[in-house]
Amino acid sequence: MAEKPMWEQIGAGFVQHYYQQFDSNRGLLADLYTEASCLTWEGQGFQGKNAIMEKLTNLPFQKIQHSITAQDHQPTPDSCVISMVVGQLKVDDDPVMGFHQLFLLKNIDNKWICSNDMFRLALHNFG
Amino acid sequence: MGDKPIWEQIGSSFVQHYYQLFDADRTQLGAIYIDASCLTWEGQQFQGKAAIVEKLSSLPFQKIAHSITAQDHQPTPDSCILSMVVGQLKADDDPIMGFHQMFLLKNINDAWVCTNDMFRLALHNFG
Repeated sequence: MAEKPMWEQIGAGFVQHYYQQFDSNRGLLADLYTEASCLTWEGQGFQGKNAIMEKLTNLPFQKIQHSITAQDHQPTPDSCVISMVVGQLKVDDDPVMGFHQLFLLKNIDNKWICSNDMFRLALHNFG
Repeated sequence: MGDKPIWEQIGSSFVQHYYQLFDADRTQLGAIYIDASCLTWEGQQFQGKAAIVEKLSSLPFQKIAHSITAQDHQPTPDSCILSMVVGQLKADDDPIMGFHQMFLLKNINDAWVCTNDMFRLALHNFG
């Protein structure tokens, strides 16, 4: 049986780590970002590790649980890895909601960090 | 009132053009891809302009209309543009469905081409 391509291993490894960390203690996500990282969270832009971490740690919920429905990974021309995730999440006692997230991963000093991150709730996906 | 950042102008123009073309005549989408482009369509991978256009042209519907709910754009460290779209689509007489798509755009010889494209229907976003 063939092994998964490298970019798929890297992408899937990152995605698993990201959501496990987000759900248990999102304050520890800082290692995944650098000063050059960008996050767009529900349409709002945040630049750099500090601003990103401030946004994530101040999200107004106590408990959160992500469930991944599907994830896709591709290599980019500039040797990055791009990962797209479709899933559901449950926050505190709110109803389950769909979400969509995208990560661009770059290898810096032998470590894969997230240079670009975009998150949207799938709020309008009802006919 | 400030102008939108350049990456947002390029990203939104591309997105508008892509869906207009897709809905009018998707066999014409070849111009936006190159031989190094990758498409992941509902989990299936396609490499290169020819394979991508073949997949899109042979999708089993006559009519399609996309409606964009939200789009986000960011510049990447390698001077590319990353665009994420959340929306709804209607194919033939099927019920409206949500979809998620992402594009990585690269400037090659003064033209913005799509090097990476990922599409997923939002089929599992019901609690």
